Formats: sequence, C-alpha cells, structure tokens
Amino acid sequence: MIQVFDGAMGTMLHQAGLKPGQCPELWNIEEPAKITAIHRQYVTAGATIIETNTFGANRIKLSHYGLESKVAAVNTAAVTTAREAAGIQTKVAGSVGPTGKFIAPLGDLSFDSAYEVFYEQISALDQAGIDYIIIETIIDIQEMRAALLAAKAATRKPIICQLSFQADGRTVTGTDPRTAAITLESLGANVIGANCSLGPAQLLPVIETLAQNCSIPLSVQPNAGMPQLVDGQTIFPMTAAEMANWIPRLVAAGATYIGGCCGTTPAHIKAIRQTIDSLPQQNVPRNPAFTALTSRIRTVSIGAQFAPVIIGERINPTGRKSLAADIKAGNFNTVKKEALAQIKAGAGILDVNMGVPGINQAITMKQAIEDLSTLVDVPLAIDTTDPATLEAGLKAYPGRALINSVTAETERLETFLPLAKKYGAAVLCLPIADNGVPLTAIDRVAVAKKLVALAQEYGLRRHDLLLDALVMTVATDATAAAETLLTLKLYREQLGCPAVMGLSNVSFGLPRRDLMNAAFCAMAVDAGLDAPILNPFDPLMQDVWSAAVALSGRNPQAVVEYSKKYVDMPALPQTTSTATPDILSQIRQSVINGETTGVAPLVRQALTENLTPLVITDQALTAAMNEVGQAFGQGRCFLPQVLLSAETMRTAFNTIKEVLPAHQVQSLGTVLLATVKGDIHDLGKNIVAALMENNGFTVIDLGKDVAPETIVAAAQKHQPQIIGLCALMTTTLPQIDSTIAALKIAGFAGKTIVGGAVLTDSYARQSGADAYADNGVTAVNIAKQLLGS
Amino acid sequence: MPTYYPSLTTVSLDKTRHYASLDHTGDFSTTLLTEACTQAQLLSIPKGVWQLYAYDQDAHTILANEPVVLTADSIIRHLVGAVEVAIMAVTIGLHLEQEVSNLFLKNQYTLGLLLDAAGTTAVEMSCDAVCSVIAQQAAQGGLALGSRVSPGYGDWPIEIQFEVLELAAGASIGLSVTDTKMLVPRKSVTAIVGLYPYHHRISLTNQQALSSDKCDQTSCQARKETNKNDPGI
Repeated sequence: MIQVFDGAMGTMLHQAGLKPGQCPELWNIEEPAKITAIHRQYVTAGATIIETNTFGANRIKLSHYGLESKVAAVNTAAVTTAREAAGIQTKVAGSVGPTGKFIAPLGDLSFDSAYEVFYEQISALDQAGIDYIIIETIIDIQEMRAALLAAKAATRKPIICQLSFQADGRTVTGTDPRTAAITLESLGANVIGANCSLGPAQLLPVIETLAQNCSIPLSVQPNAGMPQLVDGQTIFPMTAAEMANWIPRLVAAGATYIGGCCGTTPAHIKAIRQTIDSLPQQNVPRNPAFTALTSRIRTVSIGAQFAPVIIGERINPTGRKSLAADIKAGNFNTVKKEALAQIKAGAGILDVNMGVPGINQAITMKQAIEDLSTLVDVPLAIDTTDPATLEAGLKAYPGRALINSVTAETERLETFLPLAKKYGAAVLCLPIADNGVPLTAIDRVAVAKKLVALAQEYGLRRHDLLLDALVMTVATDATAAAETLLTLKLYREQLGCPAVMGLSNVSFGLPRRDLMNAAFCAMAVDAGLDAPILNPFDPLMQDVWSAAVALSGRNPQAVVEYSKKYVDMPALPQTTSTATPDILSQIRQSVINGETTGVAPLVRQALTENLTPLVITDQALTAAMNEVGQAFGQGRCFLPQVLLSAETMRTAFNTIKEVLPAHQVQSLGTVLLATVKGDIHDLGKNIVAALMENNGFTVIDLGKDVAPETIVAAAQKHQPQIIGLCALMTTTLPQIDSTIAALKIAGFAGKTIVGGAVLTDSYARQSGADAYADNGVTAVNIAKQLLGS
Repeated sequence: MPTYYPSLTTVSLDKTRHYASLDHTGDFSTTLLTEACTQAQLLSIPKGVWQLYAYDQDAHTILANEPVVLTADSIIRHLVGAVEVAIMAVTIGLHLEQEVSNLFLKNQYTLGLLLDAAGTTAVEMSCDAVCSVIAQQAAQGGLALGSRVSPGYGDWPIEIQFEVLELAAGASIGLSVTDTKMLVPRKSVTAIVGLYPYHHRISLTNQQALSSDKCDQTSCQARKETNKNDPGI
C-alpha cells in the first residue's frame, strides 16, 4: 500500500498569519489550534502520514530565537497538535530538519555535537508518541549519518531518511543517489528518499537510482516545481493536477511513500491521493543485493559480477619508521601523499592503519579519516584490532567503510560485529578460529561458514561480508598457495561473498618476491579473488594486474585500458638508421624541449668532445633560449615552456661547472629586482628573476613589499646596471613612481624596467622608467638591448 | 555565520592548464601538470564563509548594520534585479603560496608556476562549492544566484576590499587585508553574489558575468589570466 504524506507546512503557516522572522515551531505552543487545523486539512485531503511542525525544532535552530531550552516543549506540543488532527487512521511522523551547520571537517560542528542535538529532539518526539521519524532536507550525508544514528538510539519507530539533491543529481556536498542508497540502507534506515529543492520531474531519476541500489521502501516529497519570487512572495508554480500527473511515474520508479514539499497544499495532496487510488497495485522489482563500499561521493562495488579492485596497503606504519614517526608527530602529509599516489597507481580502495605504539590510536584514526575523506574519493578500509580505534574511524567516515578485519575468535566478534552493524560497515572476515589457522581449504570454508552465520546473528547481511582466503608462505609449505586458491573457488561456489586478501605472505622467505606476488595475484584473480590488498607501486604487479584484469573478462573497459597503457611503450630498444644530429644541435633541442634530465649527459659529451663552455653556451644554450624567446613572442609557445627551457639551461650550466669547476661564466650585467612596497605578490617578479638569471645576468632579488629606501640602498651597494620593479595592483602603482623618483634623487645611473599586472607602457613612461616589459621574456630582451646600447 | 570547508577530492587539470596559459599547447608535460594539481590538493585547506544581506537596488545599498552604498556602475548593473546579496570570502590558506616561493628558490620555476595556477584552480573550485551551498539555500526561498564579482573587477574599486571582507566575516577563516587592499593569504577571494527572484534572473538579459572582454580595464589580472600569452607579472 502506498502511503501519502502531507504537503508543505511553511506555506500553510504563512497563509495562517505567521510573520517573517517569527519562529514557526513556537506556534506549536502559542497557536496550537492553527497547527491542528493545518494538519486536519491534510488529513481531509487524504494524507495517511502527517508530519509534525518540528522541522527546525532542534537546539541549534531554536537558538536563533532564544528558544534552545524549549526543545522538549516545542516537540511535545507539536506531536499533540498533530495527534489531535490525526485520529486513528492517520500516522504521525516527527519531522527532523538539518541543523544548518556542516559537520567537521566540512564545518565547525563536531559529529558528537550534531548527534546530541538530533538525539535530544528525536527523544522528545519519541516520548511524545510519534509513529515515524522523518529526517528530511539534509544536504550532507554526514549530517544524515549523525541524525540516523541518533534516531536509532532514541527510538524504535521506523526512520525515514530524505536527502535534498541538486539539479546535477548530487547533494550539495557531492553524494549521488546510488551512494546515498547504499550508505543509508547499511546504516539502518527503514525508508530512504528525497525531498525539497527539486520538482517531481527532477526527482524521478533520483528515485529510479535509489530503487536500483537498495531493497528498502522509497519516499519522495517534491516541491511544486521550481520556486519563483514574485512581488516579494515565493511562488511554486506547479498546480495540483500537474503534480499529480507525475505520480504514476514516481510509483513505477519504486516510490511507496509520496507527498509534497515546498509549495504543495492540501489541494496537491488531494490530487496525489486520488491518482494513487486509481493506480493498480504495483510491485516494482529491485536489483539483487550486492556488496559495495562508499565514500561521501562514490561507490565501489565488489564481487564476481564487478571488475576486480585493488585495496592499497601503503597507509600502514608497520615496518615504516618514517611514516610511524610522522603519524606519531601528528603530521599526516605523508599519509595524504601516499593516498593520492596509490590512487594514481590504480588503487580503488585504501586501507588505513594507524597502528603506531604509544599514541592514542582512536584520536589518530579519527584525524586520518577526516583528512582522507576530504582528499580522496575512493572508499576506505579501517584496519585495526582495537575497538575504540575502529569506532572512532567508523564514526568519522562519511560513507560505508570496510572493517579490516574480524576473525572467528570470540573476543573480536563480540566487539567488532556490533560496531559494523551500528555504523553500516562491511566486514572482512578471516577464517581464523580460537584454535588457530585452518590449513586446508575445506577447513577454512567451514570456519568461514560459521563466521557468516554468526555475523548474521548480529544483524549483518550476507552482502556486508567479505572473506579472506588466508595466504601462507610457499617457502615452508609447497601446497600453501594451492590451498588458498582452492579456498577462493570454494568461497565463490558455496558462500557467494566477495573474496579479499593480502598477497605478499605467499612469497615470504623467497627471492624475487615481486615476481612470486605478481604471479600469485594473476592466479588468484582467476580463482575468484575480487579485491587484493597489495602495494600498488610495485611496477611488476601493476603490469601483471593490468593483464590479469583484462584477461578476466570482468571489466569490459580493461582491454581498452590495457591497450592505452602499453601501446606507446617500446617493447624493444629502438634502432634507427637516421643520422644523429651533432652534439650542439642535440643540446639546443634539449633546451628547447625542456628536457631537464636529458641535457646533462649531452653537455658532458660535448665537453669530452673538447667543445669549450663558450661554444656550448653561445651555439647551443643561448641559441636555444633565443629560439624559445622568439617562439614565445610569436605565440608558438607559452610561459611554462619558457620556464622549463630555463630550468634545462640552468642544469646545463651546472653541468659545465661540475665538469670544469674553474670555468667562470661571464655575466651580462647585474639586475636588481623588487616588488614594490605594499605589494605582496611576487610570482611575476620571480619569473623575471629566473629568466634573467638563466640568460646570463647576475640577479639580486630583494623580494616583495620592498620600500623605496631599501631599493636605493641596495642600488648603491650593488651598483646594478638595471633595476626591475614590479607592481600588481592599482593600489601599489604609486610606489613605482616614488621608487623611481627616489632612485633619481639618489643619482642612480643605470636603467629601470617596470612591469606588472596593472602597468601599461604609458604609465611606465609617465613614472620616469626607461622601459616597460609586459612579460618576462620581453624584460630579458629589453635588458639586453639597454645594456647593448 | 555560515561556514563551509569544501572537500577538494580533485584539482582540475584542465582548469589548471587554462590558468597556466597552456590551453593551446597539447604537448606540454602532463606529468608536471598532474604533479602541480596533486600538490595543490595536498597543500590547500579550503575554507569559506558568507553572510546574506537584503539589497536595495534602487539605492544600490547593501543593507548591513552599517549600510554599504555601491557606486561603481558595473556592480550596480550586475545587481539589477537582486533582492539579496551574499558576500563571501574563500581561502585555501598559506601553505600553497609558500610552496610556490620555495619552488622558485629551488629553481623549480615551472612547477612553481604550475602550482600557482593549480592554486588558482583550487580557490576557484572552492568558491564554486561555497556558491552551490548558498544557491541550495536560496532556492528554497525562490531565489537564484547570479555570478560572483570580486572587488577590483570592472570599475568596482579594489578600495572596497576591507568593507567586503568585513561584510563576509572573512576574519573568521583567517583572512585579512593589507593597507594596499591585498588579501592575505593571497590565494583567497572575496566576492558579492546577487540573489535574484528565480523568474527575474532567467529573463534578465543584462545580468551577465563580468567577463574580461566586456570590461574597460585592459591591464587587470583577470584579463591577463585569461590571455594565453601572459606571464602573469
């Protein structure tokens, strides 16, 4: 049976006389008859569930009106007014809206504070006698997680969770409907859905996606179209009949709780009721359940029907002193770098282990999870043996994490499985019993079956569980790998849960472990391994993984990706019959191409061929920079390329100095550079310095925000031939004038070049500068010309 | 005051290529660009704050406790039809700009330049994320967001920077203004965004982004950033 919600409360309150700036929820106490009358209109229209007027009745929202101490009173009164209108047939849902703040690390509100705020409100609603809790209009999945966890603790009534999506199909903080469905069903929502922000047309695909990715009932409460402000009034343009026209499609998509949000009225609800009553009974089929992990913004599915996925193992301080020291010091830079690098190397899930002795691992895990959840989009596995650390990580994670891991040992099961159930996590199960590691595949499967049954007793579902086949070294037992491979096959045949395992134990004690690990990985993928835990930086493993996944047939794109990855790599050393250009041409081309690592051997070769530094500089390096400069001037190359050439030139000079330490480079002249007083931007000045230096000038860089008197003093001390001044903003332009004036008063006899974002040629002339350069390359050319003249 | 610290799970390579004036060079090292974007992701700490104010479009006045009268033609034109304005401040913090300077000191000029461009991408993406929160909230009141405009763009003088930062409560996320009206940290943005009645905005032809080709200020940084051959000095 399809349940019909009521429509908007805010619209009705304003019609009933609520003034702008008044607290809508206070009317539950001050104007209860008016609230009951609104509820009654919706009941009369055919709503089977009415929502209490408590959308903003949490401590944070009520504090805007100085009513933070009235949470219980406001919510209790709201339930009373709704119950009065509901009668026997109609159910009452306690409405819970957002706090209006983002939870850390996206905002300043802590998860625990948000939880307490929601718990307080939902407890009051529960005690006042609601039939459902409806958490609605939430734009961040982490706030929904806090509210849902609080609701599960505060009430045994069904909990409806509705997010607000944007026109791009995601919530404001990036969660897509698929990810929301998987995360919230796992976390224990009884009904999930969408409300507000969009009309029924835009919410239809959201409901379709939710339906494909969960098995629980779906709700939808669209706005009456997209809002418009007309003559100071917010208008929702969709009529009751227009809205009702969308109902059959929303029902066909799978929605079984349907109502209205902003702009909908009793007339809309009546039309929706009538349409629903005219529809035949429908049973919308749902996809079979599958295993998936989620981050805030992405889902990764795991199992035989999906592409195998790498779990990156590198965020683990075990045996890594430097990483352990960083973590101990609270420095997560390495952790973050490892995370990004592993994803770049192919990891689709990241294992996170904070097992450093002597630290508070719970606090550390929380910090790591918060940092990583805003940095990477792949799901995380929380790798710990400590229940407090596990809970800290699970709470902080805005998605469905993987717990790594539980065994069939009693103590671990009793602490970890309830946490998995509470936080909606998936669990990696190791078939290790109290009496140790089973050696044969048959025994491992038997323990795994017990583990699955026990996990189900704790309320976990089959697709919450992933199984480890246990990897032992073949160095001491030649059949160890074969038993593991057989275990993988039996898991797939008999249990159907995805298989996950670390690989590297197999090669312990053997030479060329990389070779053994990679071969084992390929065999394991064939035997049914869905997600290996491995080091994605291992180059041999990368190659074998690409080939194994392409051969597995489980990822239609894998062959294409394999081809793309390897098509340009030469299989054999290339031989060529074309004549090699002379060494000076090679150096020149190397500088033009910006080959910072390739130029040094060429310069060494030129020196061994008895070419002098002067010849190399003039005929190769300077010639190259001139060519690059010309190309820049003609728009054929761009600043980063010029700088790359300059870096290459610098490497070439350094190589000459390295080979011939006594060689003295003749300076073209001294250039003093500064960004003028009050100006804190120095990128442009730095670029000019780099180009000047690598074109043979001696550069004295005074930095940024440099006062005229400092520049004058430096000019007197260093006697530069040229002073370059830079200003970026209109507010610092006058400093160009005053600096040049000060230099003239001090009798500076050299030349001045000015440049910067807001400078122009005419301004430069007016300020008394000798030249204006609108870019670094021009500055170098002008400097050469000025000194030449 | 509303605050939002956006996630930065990616820094767009394409946008960074654009800010580095590399739109027209297909063969430039993707490795270096990727490295710059990755570093920007690691070094950025995005933070945003904003405040909403009623706007009197007849008097061109932001109705704050101390009302602010707008005088520049471009911003007045931009806000025609707006009934409210959001004043926002966004930063990615100091770390990235410090690393840019370090890279130049280490003679890694190219990576320094590209990291600076990636920082611009990061702060722009953070601004977009903040705007989408403002838009989501405004939509519930039937209002749609216009495009954001910062002090110093068009003829809106940079001298108003301090007042704008105050209106946005930018100090709460660690932003300040120098005497010369520059934001510290440098990779920061202050901006005003008009909130327009939904029907108004979609029919209003003069409510356009203030792109550089419509602006008289030929030497400003925005124009230079979009010009393909500019060194950004």
